[in-house]
Amino acid sequence: MPHRDLSATACLVVAALSLSSGAHAELGGPLASVESDRGRMNAQLASVSMGGYARHALTRANGGTVHEMTNADGQVFAVTWSGPGKPDLRALLGSHFAIFQAASGGTGSSGTAGGVGRAMHSLRRPPQVNEADLQIQAEGHMGWFRGMALIPSLAPTGFVASDLSKEP
Amino acid sequence: MVRHLIVLLAALALGSCGGGSSPSTSTIAVTTTTSTTGPVATVNTAVVTVDAGPPALRAGSGGYSAFNEPYVTVTLCAPGSTTNCQTIDHVILDTGSVGLRIIASVLNPGLIAALPTETDAASNSVGECYQYVNSYAFGSVRTGDFSIAGEKVAAMPFQVIADTGRFAGVPPGCSSGGGSNIATVQDFGANGILGVGTTTTDCGTYCTVAGGSAGASYYDCPTAGCGDIIGRASNSAAPFEQLPNPVAAFPIDNNGVILALPAVPQRGVMTLAGTVIFGIGTQADNALAATNVLPVTTSSSRLGAGVLTATYNDKQLTQSFLDSGSNDYFFIDTALDPCTDTSLIAFYCPAAPTPLSPVLTATNGVTASGAFTLYSPLDVTGSSTVAPGLGINPTLVKPPLPFANSFDFGLPFFFGRTVYTAIEGRAAGGVQGPFFAF
Repeated sequence: MPHRDLSATACLVVAALSLSSGAHAELGGPLASVESDRGRMNAQLASVSMGGYARHALTRANGGTVHEMTNADGQVFAVTWSGPGKPDLRALLGSHFAIFQAASGGTGSSGTAGGVGRAMHSLRRPPQVNEADLQIQAEGHMGWFRGMALIPSLAPTGFVASDLSKEP
Repeated sequence: MVRHLIVLLAALALGSCGGGSSPSTSTIAVTTTTSTTGPVATVNTAVVTVDAGPPALRAGSGGYSAFNEPYVTVTLCAPGSTTNCQTIDHVILDTGSVGLRIIASVLNPGLIAALPTETDAASNSVGECYQYVNSYAFGSVRTGDFSIAGEKVAAMPFQVIADTGRFAGVPPGCSSGGGSNIATVQDFGANGILGVGTTTTDCGTYCTVAGGSAGASYYDCPTAGCGDIIGRASNSAAPFEQLPNPVAAFPIDNNGVILALPAVPQRGVMTLAGTVIFGIGTQADNALAATNVLPVTTSSSRLGAGVLTATYNDKQLTQSFLDSGSNDYFFIDTALDPCTDTSLIAFYCPAAPTPLSPVLTATNGVTASGAFTLYSPLDVTGSSTVAPGLGINPTLVKPPLPFANSFDFGLPFFFGRTVYTAIEGRAAGGVQGPFFAF
């Protein structure tokens, strides 16, 4: 069964890619955007079926990885990244990048100027988004960064957050 | 209680605009040391101060006081000059990054004009983007004669953050990783940062080819502005192309640092003084005398450099680290009470002091306790700019996404300890770096 799923996914990828080459990638975007990411990042792409969804693993030139997960409709419902330096999150998160940015304030405070907000100032406070239908976590250390972004409503039925780290 | 804290802090911020704080009025003064009578500096020893930060940090409507930031004072001179020099205080001593970075507005115009920029193969100036977990800093790469205590590096490449002219525009390749742009002292929480982590340069092999993307990226900067990412050699001895770990670049005492800070009472203090000693096992004052010697990952690790495993709540967190540049402990524990006040978002607010027992496992399998007592920020005196045992949950997502692979032992881990950070590829006290020891 896994083999059939894999070939089906591969066909889907090829079909989608041939239809669109200029699509800008983004979380929530179409399958074709995965290929535009591959080209833009000059990355190696390996797609594999994970059962109810497909995982597209992009290996960046510096050895870092980006995983984009697409549902049965070919929509990107999750992105994960890991490696030296952050990938182009503006492109990978698409319209959600602005929300991520708003959550990445330099002080990390909630706006209590002169208040306890100063205690939160940190170069090291990981940015995070916890909305009903958008979850983003990031962490990192000394040039090495990881993160995950998920749109629960686009995820396949039965998908749970812990599946984000599942290997084929 | 929280409101009380805010009022006190606001008063501190206002009252501090005219200059330094007055720790002697604190009712919870540290007994071990004060800000005015710190340890005597020797040729390889400098004072480390944890205080409210530089005046520029606290000035104006957006001003605030620093919290748990360990600062040192460094000196920069124009190459070869003994007169065109500047002493720069409130530079963060950071075991969690590499390289010297100074905010441009801090530097005297006469000095910055005399600091040559590095140039690339096209004879253009070199710019750099350096990424932090929630921010990035872009600026020029200049060379200057650097010194701290009696240690010196001639013509050392360092970053001038938010430099002007051709460096004024941040290239999209730098900002596209997300986070906020660091351009001012208030953005940074300091006048600069002295990264003395476990690697010899700030990017290593990841920056040696053009067009790459890494935690540190170097840029070609013609007159019109910075655009393309360029490769820079990962040499670990002069002449440097990448920013060196300044300690690794010292002629002597170049295998690591020892950071010693006093213990801090639960309610916190307004200022704390300790020492940083350069070199490990190189002089009479810096012998490796640690109970726990914990080798960490090298630059070639798929986990990143300078990390080890922390076992916490039965989970193996393989990208954990000791980091003087993190203000608090950062870790996920959904069983701990989060603070409810919005100004304390992401902090843990345990009802009572809570002992926690993370265990550190080095890359050679050696283990050590990382145990500490978690305190609530509600119990920290409002005027404190130093406090122990505070924890921050790095995610508010419930349940947490499964990437939680890190336990960040921030500055509170260093209180009451002597912590060694040894550099990759350098023997230190008879042990090959990189390692942490305490």
